[in-house]
Amino acid sequence: MTPSFLSISAVRKTFGAFVAVHDVTIDVPKGEFLTFLGPSGSGKSTTLYAIAGFQDPSSGDVLLEGKSLLSVPSHKRNIGMVFQRYTLFPHLSVAENVAFPLRVRRRPDGEVRRKVADMLALVRLENFADRQPGALSGGQQQRVALARALAYDPPILLMDEPLSALDKKLRQDIQTEIRRIHRETGVTILYVTHDQEEALHLSDRIALFREGRIEQIGTGEDLYLRPASEFVAGFIGNSNFLPAEHLETAAGAATVRLADGSIVSGLKTAKPFGKGQKVRLMVRPEALSLTPGPASAALAVEIVDTAFFGDRRRVVARTAGGDEIDVRPTSDAVEPVGAAATGQRIYFDPASAFLFPV
Amino acid sequence: MQESSFRRGSIAGLPAGSGSALPAIILVGLFFIVPVVALLLRSVTDPEPGLQNYAALFGSDTYVRVFLNTFLVASVVTAVTILVAFPVAWMLAIMPPAMGSIVFGIIILSMWTNLLTRTYAWMVLLQRTGVINRALMGLGIIHEPLPLINNLAGVTIGMVYIMLPFMILPLVGTLRAIDPMTLRAAALCGASPFDAFRRVLLPLSLPGIAAGGLMVFVMSLGYFVTPALLGGTSNMMLAEMIAQTVQSLLNWGLGSAAAFVLLVVTMALYAIQLRLVGARRAGGGL
Repeated sequence: MTPSFLSISAVRKTFGAFVAVHDVTIDVPKGEFLTFLGPSGSGKSTTLYAIAGFQDPSSGDVLLEGKSLLSVPSHKRNIGMVFQRYTLFPHLSVAENVAFPLRVRRRPDGEVRRKVADMLALVRLENFADRQPGALSGGQQQRVALARALAYDPPILLMDEPLSALDKKLRQDIQTEIRRIHRETGVTILYVTHDQEEALHLSDRIALFREGRIEQIGTGEDLYLRPASEFVAGFIGNSNFLPAEHLETAAGAATVRLADGSIVSGLKTAKPFGKGQKVRLMVRPEALSLTPGPASAALAVEIVDTAFFGDRRRVVARTAGGDEIDVRPTSDAVEPVGAAATGQRIYFDPASAFLFPV
Repeated sequence: MQESSFRRGSIAGLPAGSGSALPAIILVGLFFIVPVVALLLRSVTDPEPGLQNYAALFGSDTYVRVFLNTFLVASVVTAVTILVAFPVAWMLAIMPPAMGSIVFGIIILSMWTNLLTRTYAWMVLLQRTGVINRALMGLGIIHEPLPLINNLAGVTIGMVYIMLPFMILPLVGTLRAIDPMTLRAAALCGASPFDAFRRVLLPLSLPGIAAGGLMVFVMSLGYFVTPALLGGTSNMMLAEMIAQTVQSLLNWGLGSAAAFVLLVVTMALYAIQLRLVGARRAGGGL
């Protein structure tokens, strides 16, 4: 078997008795955009730092094209990195910041000038070459940092929450830029974020971290449409969880009883459940509707609140069991319902719902 | 321009709100400006009006040598202080705060210890039969005592020791303001530790080095006790010469002239540094 391009192999990192990363293993093909997603303290940055060489793993290995990186000091790893904070050199101009990695590599002046011009064109900051970093906005500084990290054509680019200090609009603009730059350069990107929308927007694959382990790794669609656990379902997108009791499973389709006594059947399950086992039924807000569909299950609810959000409405419903359910129908698909309307029903296709063990 | 002097509550020619600074201004005027003017007057009137004191100062080989030696000692002391202080300041800047404050305490404590005591302690350590020479000879590293006292080496050792806190303190401030992530970024960009130091850390710490360096240089120019005790007769410094001129030769005019020249040089250096730092701030975006 040929070794994969970048291989993170059973990397473990402990700080005293605390295990920050538990034996994480990921193989990254060349050119992939892989995101480490997870709440803070889930081990995603620690794993990235092991690749950068800032923290040696307690055990495990990081291999680039089959060769271990661990004995290579940071400055010889030839890896690009963009940091959470702005780390441009404040005493150098934008052009000299981008030239820095080439200067320390003693590249000839002509090549440095050409490469700096190319890089500034790539991040669309050609007219800012002579500015000092302090005179740039946060978004511009991160684009310069990106140009600096790519100037020496590193095989891997690490990005540690590079957009977390920027406002939402700017974040979206730069996300689009990052996608374009990934397309144009073909560089392998490992990207750390706690923002699931950002991860979905950018990545080829997402590794969702939880308490130092990878909970699930796959495409955004995998994680959203086929979550492996309640944690994944809760972290990616919006979800409603309803407590239920498993009755039986036949031919991969499960039947459960909800807290209000109603029976829902035809549910997908990945794991087998025992009879009478407590489970949680998950259904996405946009999979719920106020009108019955062809093969829908129904829940008796009371409508607590409705709000209009332009492309969608938000309806908050409450079951007889007291669970609140978030419904997101498209704005044209529903008759506005007043608040405190009792005796309503909401519908969903059981095939779009999931069962998770409690 | 015209309007500002008519602003309410302002003292003519001074910015508004400087009224509360008046006592300090009077104090400085009374105890600094007046003596300096008196010094200047004395240097051109004693024993008779004219510039003969300055002529004597710059005309005599001995005095010129003392001036040059003063600058040599101050330069060497400043350079060595920067070299010794930088690693200490860097350690202090990256140390955990609890440990940092202990080391800070040690440095400050040395400043509070009497200057004369510390200089005599160095005499004990540095003399021919002192601790250092005996230890080195006992270890067989040298066979003859090293001349560590009554020469430039002795003055440098003693003065660097005294000047260190004045270099470390401003430098730590500058180094602490540097984001350690900037250095990590430099490393990932391919900069070896030496390159990262030369191309990033050193340029970013220049304001601190300049501030501390000027302080040490200026203090060294006028230093008296340590050069007098640890230096030799062949490398007398200006302060010692002034003391001798006034105390032994009772030549107040010449002493005043020497003191005034020292003051002018010091102020010129300060002005140059202000210009450099000012230009850097304006152009450098720091």
